Amino acid sequence: MRLRFISPFAVLGWLLFPTIFAAVGLFVLNRPGETPDQVAYGVLGGGLVGYWGVAYLDGGFGIQSERWNGTLEQIFAAPTPFWVILAGKSVGSVLWGMLSFVPTLALAFFGFHAVVPHLNGGAFAASFAVLSFSFLCVAFGFAPLFALWRWAVPMINGFELGFYLLCGFMFPVTILPLWAQGFAAALAPTWATTAIYAATTSSGPHYFAYWWAAAIALSLAYLVGAWWLYRLVDRKARISGELALA
Amino acid sequence: MKTITNQAGIFVRSTWLQYVALFQWATVRGYIGYKLVLPITQILFFVELGVYATGRHNALYFALGNAMQITANAGIFGVIATVANERQFGTLPMLLGSPANRLVTFLSRAIVNTLDGILSVAVAIALVVVLFGLNFQHASVPLLALCVLVVSITTSGLGLLFGSVGLVMRDAIVIANVIYYLMLVFCGINFPVSRLPGVLQLIAYSLPLTRGVEAAREVAAGASLSQVSGLLAGELVVGATYALLGYALFRWLENQARHGGLQEAY
Repeated sequence: MRLRFISPFAVLGWLLFPTIFAAVGLFVLNRPGETPDQVAYGVLGGGLVGYWGVAYLDGGFGIQSERWNGTLEQIFAAPTPFWVILAGKSVGSVLWGMLSFVPTLALAFFGFHAVVPHLNGGAFAASFAVLSFSFLCVAFGFAPLFALWRWAVPMINGFELGFYLLCGFMFPVTILPLWAQGFAAALAPTWATTAIYAATTSSGPHYFAYWWAAAIALSLAYLVGAWWLYRLVDRKARISGELALA
Repeated sequence: MKTITNQAGIFVRSTWLQYVALFQWATVRGYIGYKLVLPITQILFFVELGVYATGRHNALYFALGNAMQITANAGIFGVIATVANERQFGTLPMLLGSPANRLVTFLSRAIVNTLDGILSVAVAIALVVVLFGLNFQHASVPLLALCVLVVSITTSGLGLLFGSVGLVMRDAIVIANVIYYLMLVFCGINFPVSRLPGVLQLIAYSLPLTRGVEAAREVAAGASLSQVSGLLAGELVVGATYALLGYALFRWLENQARHGGLQEAY
């Protein structure tokens, strides 16, 4: 966390990108004649975008950054299990990502006089916790992926706005074509985001338990995949000594 | 005449060398990720956002705006990286020590990225037509191509300015990110510039892309060259201003380096 305070990229992640997306979202969605749902997407969308961006990118580079700094070997040699250290870093990324809501909510309130039209506090808090868990699992899973296969970085980085689209951060995924909704359903944050926005409106279905369960189940599936990837990282680092060359 | 031929030769060689030496980030996977996947998902995201907010009938507005903004991907990211990489790769002292015409070598940094920007927009517009079934039946395709060309040149002008800043800054790519994404807000990509507060409108019209996007939208609606020539001329003036400012900064930094022996410090 301390390293992030002096990194210009970290500041871009929690301050600049979410504020810009929030501004665009609010200009586009917060117009005369808008529906309460649209206002909610305008108010929260930028923050969710920033939260995701920091969590997956900052958390995803958890192993890579150690490699770049030349500290990967020391971490492997430490008595603390590698995955425990990475889990700590991923939690740090998720906490750092939450900062994204500070500038975006401030912009919505002070710049556009927009607030979430209706809030079911309990459901919102629980949905946000589920979303954070899903981000944590994604970050934890991307870290070994980025370290093992460098090609994954430009592909997933390039697809960043695709995640915004499929996770429904700034508009509901139900407006997407059916085939795209199929891909969206495979992403844990999509279900948690659906629950978050449902908690900001009194209309529509409120299948919170179903959405939370789907998000948690998918997140756990990501953890299983991550466990397999960490074993691969471990083997490359300890047995073949190839991790630094990957 | 011989001088012009010589300078043209330097320009072509410099353009080629900067492509093979400084365009190194464009590996196949990097190119697919950052030059195809990123622009495509950007268009899809903002078109769907616009459709959600304003209805399917406005899809062309968002699609065209974002397709044009993709030129800035090459013009800003590409050019800034190309100029600033001289410092990263340790070739800046050699460049500063060479007798080659500075303006020629400086401008050659933008050429490949300008062409790359045009290619990116062509792919983006083709995609928009296929995915959203948008038609340009009222538009003059050559005139739309002219808009794309002009915007590619002008965004490269802005890239040259901030690329020069990158000569004395460690994380030039941070500047590229800031500029590229701020253009989403200021340049009328997803909503009209008139919705911005007055002061911000001034900033919007002092940036490249704003007039170019406006011209492209008018062309798509059936405007002729005479109707958009003012916008395109304004766009070119803005782009040229940034390129000249960039060149002046480049020369100033060069002189500072020479006087202080600071080439390596950069």
